[in-house]
Amino acid sequence: MSSVLQNLVNQPYRHGFVTDIDADVAPKGLNEDIIRLISHKKGEPEWLLEFRLKAFRHWLTMTEPAWANVKYPKIDFQDIIYYSAPKPKAKLASMDEVDPELLRTFEKLGVPLHEQKALAGVAVDVIFDSVSVTTTYKQRLAEVGIIFCSMSEAVRDHPELVRRYLGSVVPYTDNYYAALNSAVFTDGSFCFIPRGVKCPMELSTYFRINTQESGQFERTLIVAEESAQVSYLEGCTAPKFDTNQLHAAVVELVALDDADIKYSTVQNWYAGDENGVGGIYNFVTKRGLCKGVNSKISWTQVETGSAITWKYPSCVLLGENSIGEFYSVALTNHHQQADTGTKMIHVGRNTRSTIISKGISAGSSNNSYRGLVRIGGKADNARNFSQCDSMLIGDRCGASTFPYIQVHNSSAKVEHEATTSKIGEDQLFYFAQRGIGTEEAVSMIINGFCKDVFTQLPMEFAVEATKLLGLKLEGSVG
Amino acid sequence: MSETLSNGHLDSLLRGQSRLPSSARGWLDALRADALEQANALSVPTTRDEEWRYTDLSPLYQKSFLPAPSAGTVAAQALDACLLPEAGCRLVFVDGHYAPRLSSACADPALGVTSFSDALAGQDPTLQANLARHAPLGADTFVAVNTAWLQDGVQVRVHAGRTAAAPIQVLCLSTRPDVVAYPRLLVVAEADSGCTLVEDYVALHGGEYLTNAVTEVALADGARVRHVRVQRESTSGFHIGTCGVRIGRGAHYLSSAVALGARISRFNLNIVQAAEGAESTLDGLALIGGRQLADMHSLLDHRYAHGRSRQLFKSVVDDEAHAVFNGKIFVHHGAQRTDSSQQSRSLLLSPRARVDSKPQLEIFADDVKCAHGAAVGQLEAEQVFYLKSRGLDEAGARNLLTFAFAAEIVHRIPLPSLAAQLERIVLQQTQKQTSDRNRP
Repeated sequence: MSSVLQNLVNQPYRHGFVTDIDADVAPKGLNEDIIRLISHKKGEPEWLLEFRLKAFRHWLTMTEPAWANVKYPKIDFQDIIYYSAPKPKAKLASMDEVDPELLRTFEKLGVPLHEQKALAGVAVDVIFDSVSVTTTYKQRLAEVGIIFCSMSEAVRDHPELVRRYLGSVVPYTDNYYAALNSAVFTDGSFCFIPRGVKCPMELSTYFRINTQESGQFERTLIVAEESAQVSYLEGCTAPKFDTNQLHAAVVELVALDDADIKYSTVQNWYAGDENGVGGIYNFVTKRGLCKGVNSKISWTQVETGSAITWKYPSCVLLGENSIGEFYSVALTNHHQQADTGTKMIHVGRNTRSTIISKGISAGSSNNSYRGLVRIGGKADNARNFSQCDSMLIGDRCGASTFPYIQVHNSSAKVEHEATTSKIGEDQLFYFAQRGIGTEEAVSMIINGFCKDVFTQLPMEFAVEATKLLGLKLEGSVG
Repeated sequence: MSETLSNGHLDSLLRGQSRLPSSARGWLDALRADALEQANALSVPTTRDEEWRYTDLSPLYQKSFLPAPSAGTVAAQALDACLLPEAGCRLVFVDGHYAPRLSSACADPALGVTSFSDALAGQDPTLQANLARHAPLGADTFVAVNTAWLQDGVQVRVHAGRTAAAPIQVLCLSTRPDVVAYPRLLVVAEADSGCTLVEDYVALHGGEYLTNAVTEVALADGARVRHVRVQRESTSGFHIGTCGVRIGRGAHYLSSAVALGARISRFNLNIVQAAEGAESTLDGLALIGGRQLADMHSLLDHRYAHGRSRQLFKSVVDDEAHAVFNGKIFVHHGAQRTDSSQQSRSLLLSPRARVDSKPQLEIFADDVKCAHGAAVGQLEAEQVFYLKSRGLDEAGARNLLTFAFAAEIVHRIPLPSLAAQLERIVLQQTQKQTSDRNRP
């Protein structure tokens, strides 16, 4: 196995370019003045500034976590620009008024915004370096009472909702990066689905990190009221930079009685070059709270990018009969490091959770699954099934599994399985017999390996994800 | 838990260590000094240490135990009750001290059994070459403390190409409360040799005490060692044991570890497959109730290609007991064609029982087959129903299923008398469970 597999992985990063847009950039560094500046620039109410400052003061008392199975040089938090925004322009009346430079960026990324309108009704809230530039389909969503806007707009237009739910799932005391995010988050998406409403379309946001050395600190909050349903897509690509960029986002989901939230991610940020130089540090806190009875939160992620991924989309199953799901494909190549997984915290009775995690390591990369399944003392009849499979391509990479299983209730039933496998010579030979070349065979084997997860993705994403894996692995088998 | 409490405990454990008489050989004194230094550098673990996060030793740290000055007296009757009829050779430790008077002479030509003091007096280099090599000091405070107190232990050599005719029984008795025992055992199985070893920890009283045992087993190429370890300490006692194993080329180590006693017990089974084609088969059973805590840690280090390992760990947890399992499989770079599997199964019998399980895989080679599974649950309603449909009552059905769950491990123990004893204990435990359940 060698050169074809080798080549499969060694694809240069396609989305590597810097868009030259005038940005309103804050000085480097982090202190209370910077936080006041961010808050002031965004015209925030007093309570939000207080929240930020409390988070910042708490962050100062915390130490950087070191337990993850990843290695990286110490981050200088004073060497980061915490605020950068494209220069404010007059309100845009139509697509024609959008910065043509920006439109070209999206075209290179393959996200032609005007085509999106026609495309299967996907509303895109474009986050371009922290500030939401344009939002489509707002009208149609507004008709059914759905609020889908940038976090800054939400703070301005719906402060009572933001105030009620912000930090209710991920408190600023949660962890080091969540505290940092709470102090300095600049923008993100806000989505509110009122009682009984099924969102008529897939909601999606594209995140891009642009200005060099500007850490991105998005904050996403999705609230689904009683019997509401929503499917949210998050896709990521970022330009090629040599200096590492820190990305510490927080995503909070709240599902009330009978609500259903599906959150899908395809992450393809710049992973550094084949020698491990550059790339994004992706330290994300994602958590969903199944607050109501019969509520459901489902996470699906395809993680192919970032130099370092540190991400555990979790579910707190508080409501009776609530359901948590986690489907993940994590692919690492070259010198990428990923420590990812989930936490399923069963609190309520009859709660159920499913974890399907597929890790693929190639090159000199390191891919870890780290998961927690906790069944609380009152979670009678809780059920969990976990499956964590790893595939190794080449003998210089590593795959680790660290599941934590804590059962405090005798009526619980918890199962965990993990296997490790490789793309065997015999499999490739079988394909070759049938006239299928190595490269295609590898792609098919990998797609088969990841099938359980891909079927959970919305259709457009499933197609994109399949292509993405093929692309990322080009040259790694042979 | 306060730092001062735990550090105070370490100080109390090491108090008086400096008054140990120096040994016949300088290297042993140096080893003890090194161990003392390591112990002081490490400090005792707290739940903030990842390896101890579920096992809170603060009840132990509130106590202060000193080593027993000498072996206590043991009534012949009490001793006889603990002996296994199959055993060809009996080695008895009393309160951590090797008691040659109570041990039986070993006539088997395949075996060379000597106390450390005799080995030090002779010219045999085996002891120096192996002691503290397979249970390294730097990783574990309790191993370091055991080594710092090292006075006498037993060395078992299985001569090359020979197989011991009968099992060797190592009996560690605790005869008095408020002491700490440091039993130490070294087993060296030379090339193509074979033996069966039974380590048995028994208390003859119900008081509080600590057993801190270290066993090292070295398997040379082609050797085969069956190692049965039964921990049936008093339920007021504390037990911390470590077994360090090194497996040579084509050698096979089989282990059955059973934990029944102690208020808090911890067993670390650290295995290094140090050559190609090494194999290990590890079984474990914890059968606990009341407020017991049983912690089983296995670490399997696949360093070379073509290694194989099988692990099956079970726990039956009743009342408010707490079972902990941590199994780590390492497959090093270059350990291709490793075939490793690990299963952890826990049965919770009471609503307040608790299990924490952490099976881990760390793999750095691509051509391997590794799998682990963990399951925690209660008895299957369908299975109970099936047995009831065959005429068993509820209690009988539950007993049978619980017994069958635990008996899988017990039945693999190659000594019929020990297996029968353990079977009885399992049966008693399951019946006790039923009578509790039937109580209004």
